[in-house]
Amino acid sequence: DSHIQYERVGADVTMKCGSMDWDAAVTWTANGTDIDESHLNGSYLILKNVDLTRSGQYSCYEGSSWHLKYQTYLRVGTPPKEPVLMCRSNNYPKGFYCSWHLPTPTYIPNSFNISVIHGTKEMVCEKDIYPKNRCHIRYLQLFSTVKYKVTLTVTNALGKNSTTLTFDEVAIVKPDPPESVVAKPVPNNPRRLEVSWQNPSSWPDPESFPLKFFLRYRPLILDQWQHVELSDGTSHTITDAYAGKEYIIQVAAKDNDIGTWSDWSVAVHATPWTEEPKHLTTEAQITDTTSASTSSFMPPPTTKICDKGAVVGSGAVAVCWTAGLVLAAYGVLFI
Amino acid sequence: MAAADSPSAALRRRDLCSRGIRLAGKMRSDVIDLLDTYVERQGLDASASVVTVEGVPVAAVERWDEQTGTQRLLENLTAYRAFRVLLAQMLEEHREQLGDADTGLGRALAAVLLQVSAFAYHLEELLRLESRGPPSEEGTAPPPVPHLGLFERKLRGLGVLRELAQWAVRSARDLRQLTKPSPGSSSAPSWAESP
Repeated sequence: DSHIQYERVGADVTMKCGSMDWDAAVTWTANGTDIDESHLNGSYLILKNVDLTRSGQYSCYEGSSWHLKYQTYLRVGTPPKEPVLMCRSNNYPKGFYCSWHLPTPTYIPNSFNISVIHGTKEMVCEKDIYPKNRCHIRYLQLFSTVKYKVTLTVTNALGKNSTTLTFDEVAIVKPDPPESVVAKPVPNNPRRLEVSWQNPSSWPDPESFPLKFFLRYRPLILDQWQHVELSDGTSHTITDAYAGKEYIIQVAAKDNDIGTWSDWSVAVHATPWTEEPKHLTTEAQITDTTSASTSSFMPPPTTKICDKGAVVGSGAVAVCWTAGLVLAAYGVLFI
Repeated sequence: MAAADSPSAALRRRDLCSRGIRLAGKMRSDVIDLLDTYVERQGLDASASVVTVEGVPVAAVERWDEQTGTQRLLENLTAYRAFRVLLAQMLEEHREQLGDADTGLGRALAAVLLQVSAFAYHLEELLRLESRGPPSEEGTAPPPVPHLGLFERKLRGLGVLRELAQWAVRSARDLRQLTKPSPGSSSAPSWAESP
C-alpha cells in the first residue's frame, strides 16, 4: 500500500508500519537503505525536525519474513507564502493577463486558483499552456470606471495563501517595448544618427490606439542620457551626437492617453558618420582631395601640413606635432 | 448620400474629427486636474468608490469595436448633452454654497463646462455631415435634480467628473475610429456600416 505523505520542514514525523503492532519486529528503510534502530520507537519510525533531505521513499518490512508491510513517499516542504501576482495589459483594448509566482519554493506540488471580479460579474481567466503560471482575460467592457479585483489562491498539502490585486482598466496598460530598433549614421553628417523602430507586434490597433515614444541615447563613454519624447512617428534623427563617438540608443512606448511606459527596448549601437582618414599622399593628390572637404565640424585635413613632401628635417616635424596638438584640442571641444 | 460623400464633406469630417480628438485630449487633461481640485476642496478621499450615479451617462460599453460610426456619434452626443446639464447643476450648487466668491473650483468647473459644450457642438456638426443630423434636444426635459444632502451631492459630483474623464478618453478613441478607412473601400469611411 503506497502513500504520499507531506510534512513541514522542522516537524517531527511518526510513521506507523501499517497495521503492525507497536511491539512487532520490523525494519525500516529510507530509499533502500536500512534505518538505524535509534530512530525507532517500537515499530514506529520517528523522524525529528525533518529537513528537505529527509524526503524519499520509506518502507517497513516485517522482521523475519521481510514482507513489505508499509510504504510511503515522504515529501518535506513548506506551506505557501503569499504569492506574488502581477496583471498587465500589453494588448489594449483586447484584454489583460495575470502572472504569478511564489517568492520561495515550497518543494511540494502547489495548485493555483485565480478569480477575477468586475463589479458583480465573475470573469474567467483562461490559463495559458505556456508559461504555466499565467492566464489571460478578454475585456468585455471598455472605458469602465469599475475596478477589477483579482484574487490568486495557492494551495498545497500543508496550507494555503492568497493575494488580491485591485485595479482599473487603464492602470495596468503597459505596452511591450518597441521592436526592430535600428540606428544608422547619416552620410556626410558627423553629428547625426537616424533612429527608426516599429510598434510592438503585441499592440493590436496602433491606428485607433496610437503609441507615443521616448528615446534615450548617450555616447558609451558618458553616463548621462539624453531624452526625447515623440508624440507620433516611428523614427527620429539625433542631431547633436558627438562626432566619432559610439552611441547606445533605446526606445520605450506608451499609449497616448493611458497606462505606463514600456520597458526600454533592446539597445542598439551606432556611430555617426566620419570622414575617412586621408592617407599620406603626394603634393599633386593633396590639391585634388583637400578641395573636396565639405564638413565644417571636421578637423582640417592633416596632409596639407604633414605630408611626406613637406617633412624635411626637424622643422617640418615640429609643424606636424603642432598640427597634431591643434587636432587634439579640436577633438576635446567635442567631448 | 452623395452630399455626405463629397470631397468637401470628407475634408470637413476629417477636420472635425482631428479637432475633436485634440479637444477630447485637452478636456480629459482638464477634467483630471479638476478632479484633483474637487477632491481637495470638497474634503473627499480620492480613492472613494462611487456607486453608479443615477442620471450620469456611463462610458463603459460592450463590443465597442463593433459599433458603427453613427452609434458612436449618437452615444457621445447623448452623453455630452447630459454632462452639460450635470456640470451646470454642479456649478449652480457650488455658487449657492459659496455665494459670489470667485473660486478656483468654480472657474475650473466653468471651463470644463465650456469644453463639454464645444465638444457637443463638434458632435452635432459631425452628425449633420451625415444625412441623419443630430437628434433634437427640444422636448427633452433636463433630469430632475435629486434631493441630496451636502455630502451626497459631493459624492455625486465626484461620480460625474470621473465618468466624464472616462468619456473623454473614449471620445478620442471613437473619433479615431471614425477616421479609419472602412475595409474594402478606398474612400471615406461609411458610418452606417460596422465598424
